Amino acid sequence: MLRGEKFFMNYDIVIIGSGITGASIARELSKYKLSIAVIDKASELPAGASRANSSMIHGGFDDKPGTVKAKFCVPGNKLWHKLNDELDVHLDECGSYVCAFSGAEVKHLEELLAQGKANGCPGVEIVSGDKLREKEPNVSPEIIAALWSPEAGIINNFEAVNAMIESAELNGAKLFLETVATGLILDDKGNIKGVTTNKGEFLAPVVINAGGVHSGEIASWAGDKSFRIIPTKGEYYLLDRTAGETITSFLFSCPSKAGKGITVLRTAEGNLMAGPTATEQEDPEDRSTTPEGLAEVLKGARRLVPKFPVNMNITTFAGVRANTESGDFEIYALKSPRGFVNAAGIKSPGFTSAPAIAQHIAQLLKEELSDRITLIPNEKFTPERRNIPRFLYMDMAARKSLAENDPAYAQIVCRCETVTEGQVVEAIRRGARTITAVKMMTRAGTGRCQGGFCCPRVAEILSRELGIPLDEITRHGGESKLLVGKTKEFLLKKGAVSHE
Amino acid sequence: MSKNIDVLVIGAGPAGVAAGIGARREGAENVLVLERDWDLGGILQQCIHPGFGLRTFKEELTGPEYMHRFIQQAHDEGVEFRTNTMVFQIDRGTNTVWTMNKERGIESLNPGAIVLTMGCRERPLGAIRIPGTRPSGIYTAGTAQRFVNMEGYMPGKRAVILGSGDIGLIMARRMIWEGAEVEGVYEVMSWPGGLRRNIAQCLDDYGIPFHLKTTVTRIHGQDRLEGVTVAEVDDHMTPIKGTERYVECDTLLLAIGLIPENELSRMASIDIHPVTGGPVVNDLLQTTNPGIFAAGNVVIVYDLVDNVSDEGLVAGASAAKYAMGKIPQNVRRIPVKGGENVRLYSPQFVTGETDTTIFMRVTHPIEQPCKVFAEPGLYSQRLRYARPGEMNEVKIKAEQVKALPDLNEIVIDIQPV
Repeated sequence: MLRGEKFFMNYDIVIIGSGITGASIARELSKYKLSIAVIDKASELPAGASRANSSMIHGGFDDKPGTVKAKFCVPGNKLWHKLNDELDVHLDECGSYVCAFSGAEVKHLEELLAQGKANGCPGVEIVSGDKLREKEPNVSPEIIAALWSPEAGIINNFEAVNAMIESAELNGAKLFLETVATGLILDDKGNIKGVTTNKGEFLAPVVINAGGVHSGEIASWAGDKSFRIIPTKGEYYLLDRTAGETITSFLFSCPSKAGKGITVLRTAEGNLMAGPTATEQEDPEDRSTTPEGLAEVLKGARRLVPKFPVNMNITTFAGVRANTESGDFEIYALKSPRGFVNAAGIKSPGFTSAPAIAQHIAQLLKEELSDRITLIPNEKFTPERRNIPRFLYMDMAARKSLAENDPAYAQIVCRCETVTEGQVVEAIRRGARTITAVKMMTRAGTGRCQGGFCCPRVAEILSRELGIPLDEITRHGGESKLLVGKTKEFLLKKGAVSHE
Repeated sequence: MSKNIDVLVIGAGPAGVAAGIGARREGAENVLVLERDWDLGGILQQCIHPGFGLRTFKEELTGPEYMHRFIQQAHDEGVEFRTNTMVFQIDRGTNTVWTMNKERGIESLNPGAIVLTMGCRERPLGAIRIPGTRPSGIYTAGTAQRFVNMEGYMPGKRAVILGSGDIGLIMARRMIWEGAEVEGVYEVMSWPGGLRRNIAQCLDDYGIPFHLKTTVTRIHGQDRLEGVTVAEVDDHMTPIKGTERYVECDTLLLAIGLIPENELSRMASIDIHPVTGGPVVNDLLQTTNPGIFAAGNVVIVYDLVDNVSDEGLVAGASAAKYAMGKIPQNVRRIPVKGGENVRLYSPQFVTGETDTTIFMRVTHPIEQPCKVFAEPGLYSQRLRYARPGEMNEVKIKAEQVKALPDLNEIVIDIQPV
């Protein structure tokens, strides 16, 4: 990861946005001899909708056959079941249930079942409420039937985005954080020449728009006003791991026009979670939770799981997804300016679809933009990427040998999630610069005390490893400094202490 | 470890250091106290304000001074310490304790008895589910205290304090001392969470407004905290429409409660009390895992460190007896029941093997003369008042219990007189 410096460099491809879509495209294209720049305005990854979502790998029954979503969801699901090993990412193959409370909803399940079969989604079937409760005794007794999708799973989305982009970087792609795209550069024929950013110009004959909630605005720079992004907020509760035992599968309400409805799930790391709402808003950056939204989530969660133990909540959060008016993904190359490709309007099942979208983009470049770029296979491409060692999940022998090789792995930094100093140092080596970046990459601060214990310690390690003062460390970049100065300096500045 | 450890204590805060002393005094040969931090003392290291030890030492000490006296005693008694050592696992069934330390790597220990003294942690913002953004500048009071008192850095310039637990009150005063502003302290309940003396000495003396039945209802600011919305609440703790007020601040300190830290206890299959959040214990401070004892804020959150030290001494002594096979096999297990005005208490069982103090809190303030008592006829003491923020005690002597061989329940309560 690079940041701060000014860049005026030539690339073959610039990808705007390093969410799961941009990161997956970068990795897929790193299978070819291309120089790739990925730019993202965030200080850590994932940042946008890829950070705050249900982290679901969908079965693929929910998308209307013939839509772009339907084309990518099932293939994406299959790819993730291989990628999780290649990229060393947690994927809980838990399966999902869509729960029906009424005859009308059962009818809807039947439609979903037919849709699933049409989409080639394997193993989907409708089971009785009692059958569901045999496996999930804590769900509502009022559920009369459920659609079971065995291929659905839950991924650790923090790990997945970082793994994807790291794999791209290992294969030659360059990631530029805190780099905000501000416009396009066109050549004298009106074709794509590059991207202007707050850090300078990134020149490339091909620009891929994976700008998530900003992808509509970015497309409009290229004159493409065929779709509009409707930022749609989704609010969530995240509960303690000990509440994770409440359920084992991903539970959906029956979908309505408003979306897939409130879900209750156990994250890949074992926390119980519920959400999201679907509230349309103007501001693509407003990720605040609201009393109304949180109340709606709680109501929906209790409908599925009456004893949803909200008293074990550890945090609430919201994500903003890139909804489009059509409700579908916008994936295509523009005829003009040539060289501009949209991977836009990606919302659910975007995380699932991302690897399949990435493959499609590579194909599209070969077929439609061969005048601008040539894709020659990169024989040196290495698919495997190893995660930062996860002490919590290791057996004692592995822990011992890790600690013998590097004593920093025998020092706990985050007590709730058993994260060692060695992991934090490794995250910093891999590019973490903020408290949130360390959290995304190691899970330090994601537990029940929410960083109360480890935040000062992570800040100290960042300060030590990066050689910058403690009061320069930020929570998530920008103006989010943790501290406002040294105590005595502070008093002196205020004039409360006289110089005698 | 070549030698066998008789009593292993996990955590060298006030409870753990006292447990080490208690174990040695009872006759345990090898007593080892493990501490995950680089120095002994636990949270008292950062409590540099005075007010500790009035009961134990009859003088007012700072946190570090108070601890120093106990650490000195522990050294004199032959207690061994190992710092920078974290216990990260206790195996169910065998009670094998797994430790990590940068120099020693990962090791396992099989002591004769274990005393849990891990203390407690602060409730985070998520626990109370306040809507809004997630900027920097929101800290638990204890984290802010660490930054200011240990690291020498200021968390912000203008603070709002949510909750009136003692650390929040202490930090309100500290922020003023260090040159920051404190806009006010907001408490959702109709009574303070902390001690009256801290309200007087930390808020009143500095003119810091204290708002009861008021809470923060919204967080504002993208990168750094810019302000909070506060609102009064009704009797159901629901914010009252029309009472909302925007308060500009760059720091929100949380003093909204402490939770006993029992990850290890759960690993060791110890029953955790649903109300205290700590292990279920008897008067020997023995948990439901017979070889494991517990004391201090890991059991129940105390007001005064003196009580924590006292309980540490008891738990250490009991653990030593256990390790030496001196606790009779079939001790009695008389349940203690809380009456209508008792919110929580500990211990929950009495054996009659030792004199005991049962610590308790009332559910709501009783602002009139009242009495705290234990039935049948075991204890009674008149009080001027009883308040949730200030613990009450019931003392029962071992002989009293021994004299009642048919005693099958002790009821404790506080009632107006």
